[in-house]
Amino acid sequence: MSSLKHLIQNENMKIYRRPRTWLMIGFLVLALALMSGLMKWDEIRYGDDNWKQNMTQQTERLQKDLVDNKDTNPEYTNYLVDEIKLNEYYLANDINPHEQSLWDYVNNSAMLILLITILTVIVAADMIAAEFSWGTIKLLLVGPASRTKIMLSKYIATMGFALLLLIISFVVAFIAGAILQGFSGVSVPELSIGADGLIHESSKFITSLQKYGYSIVSLLMYVTMAFMISAAFRSSTMAIAFSLLFMLVGNSLTAIFSSYEWVKYLLFANIDLTQYLDGATPIRPDMTLGFSVMILAAYYLLFQLVSWILFTRRDVAA
Amino acid sequence: MQEAVLQLRNVTKVIGGRKIVDDLSFDVPAGEVFGFLGPNGAGKTTTIRMIVGLISMSKGEVFVKGISVRKQFEQAMTHIGAIVENPEMYKFLTGYQNLVHFARRHSGVSKQRIDEVVKLLGLQNRIHEKVKRYSLGMRQRLGVAQAILHKPSVLILDEPTNGLDPAGIRELRDYLSKLTKEDGIAVIVSSHLLSEMELMCDRVAIIQGGKLINVRSLQDGHDSMQSKVVIDVSNLPSAYQLLTDSFKDIEVSIIGNQLELKTDKARIPDITRVLVKADFDIYGIFASQQSLEEQFLEMTGGEMVV
Ligand SMILES: Nc1ncnc2c1ncn2[C@@H]1O[C@H](COP(=O)(O)OP(=O)(O)O)[C@@H](O)[C@H]1O
Ligand SMILES: [Mg+2]
Repeated sequence: MSSLKHLIQNENMKIYRRPRTWLMIGFLVLALALMSGLMKWDEIRYGDDNWKQNMTQQTERLQKDLVDNKDTNPEYTNYLVDEIKLNEYYLANDINPHEQSLWDYVNNSAMLILLITILTVIVAADMIAAEFSWGTIKLLLVGPASRTKIMLSKYIATMGFALLLLIISFVVAFIAGAILQGFSGVSVPELSIGADGLIHESSKFITSLQKYGYSIVSLLMYVTMAFMISAAFRSSTMAIAFSLLFMLVGNSLTAIFSSYEWVKYLLFANIDLTQYLDGATPIRPDMTLGFSVMILAAYYLLFQLVSWILFTRRDVAA
Repeated sequence: MQEAVLQLRNVTKVIGGRKIVDDLSFDVPAGEVFGFLGPNGAGKTTTIRMIVGLISMSKGEVFVKGISVRKQFEQAMTHIGAIVENPEMYKFLTGYQNLVHFARRHSGVSKQRIDEVVKLLGLQNRIHEKVKRYSLGMRQRLGVAQAILHKPSVLILDEPTNGLDPAGIRELRDYLSKLTKEDGIAVIVSSHLLSEMELMCDRVAIIQGGKLINVRSLQDGHDSMQSKVVIDVSNLPSAYQLLTDSFKDIEVSIIGNQLELKTDKARIPDITRVLVKADFDIYGIFASQQSLEEQFLEMTGGEMVV
């Protein structure tokens, strides 16, 4: 009987021996390099030696704004109050918030997790469907490995690929940041105003990790969805098309229908967990973090179950 | 006969209300090349797909060394090597990497074993080239290599001669007989070409419309002929009745105004004695032999492609 370890080795061999995979990795690295370069260019262009003076002026402007808008919009005035508080703190403690540290590079690279999700969706879409289009599914299944084991090995290999891309993105952004900014800003804290109205310092490293963590939720869901469609329709094109379609229209769909209660049961309404962070508002007021986690878990199990049934129970007559 | 390593019992496949494979039962012993002969669409590939678990059986069981493919799939598959239709390989991998891929699924296939199989099939010169540059014949051989890596007890090849030239077919026959005679494995080969079956097989099962029509031995010239005895006799229906009752092991049928018995010359004295004792008038007795080809043509209504 086949061991799972060997089956995963096989799947990895089939992923990393394809030139396409290295093209994708190269593309990701290029995107990271481009982003880092743009950040540096931006900093040089707007580089200010007299940031204290600028910030003092900005704070004055904000204060004037505050007086003008006293009774109009409480949300806006709250925002102004917070900004003023932060600016005063920066000035008092001699922290330039616009000076980029290498953590800002890592932090911004989290935006590229959308790209990582798309690349992994492409790989996931091929995992089962390509074996059918290549005709290799017959040889793959005629062996001492149950279909459940083969499916599991394919899923694990896909997730391994996602993990590799995430690590590459984190490390490349860190290195680019270190090259462009040096290590001087490594320990500069991230400042934010909490619900208590006080200023909090937090580690930028932790903030970066959190950003990655939240983005991984949607990566996990969309990749699992692509995997399911690949198993269901045995077509890579369909798996990629549907997953990308849902990724693109999911948000606008929830926005359009957000006044209806059923929206909260949609995958897209729950996939962005940053809506429960301080200062953000959930799509519907009756949604909580626990609720979203439960809905996500339910979708995840549903995707896995559907893939499993369709892959293990159906005749292979290709 | 030796122990049967592959047993089919009432194997049936129904798709959309149509019986594509209808109640097949047969045994294949170790050390035999068993042919699975039938015109296109007879249900050969469908049967093979059921044996290897690619599609489910509507009814019946397949046993490999006594292990049920349906109930203990993984254990049963450790004893099977197969190619179903064309041997499609991973084209972006080399031949060797493909073999490593398939070897890893089994426990205990060493590097030496891979090299040994590569040599057996004469692939050593180009094994490190990408499969997309292989000819069809080389892909066939790589397919066979992948199927025998783990020394299976049963090797199943679906239409292995497709796309092979006569020299290739002769080679295939040579290493198949090596595998059966030296390693004692059972080989099942399907084909729609009688001439190829006669070259390669010890026995053939003829299948048509999903039904097993006959299993015949091809081991020597005499056996490959099916003998029949034709009797010209009075009072046909009661003679038919008498003979079916007296000879339970012989298939009797009425063809035109004669009786036809599927048996050979040695039984003629017995048969005449019974008929004479019962006062039938005999006008003539002929023994004749029918070749597999004639039988195949007759069975398949001349649809055969040779
Ligand atoms: N998945 C399927 N659905 C419907 N009919 C099928 C399917 N697979 C095979 N058949 C039919 O079953 C018959 C037997 O096919 P097959 O086993 O491929 O024959 P062979 O291999 O002997 O040429 C054919 O008539 C074919 O059209
Ligand atoms: Mg066929």
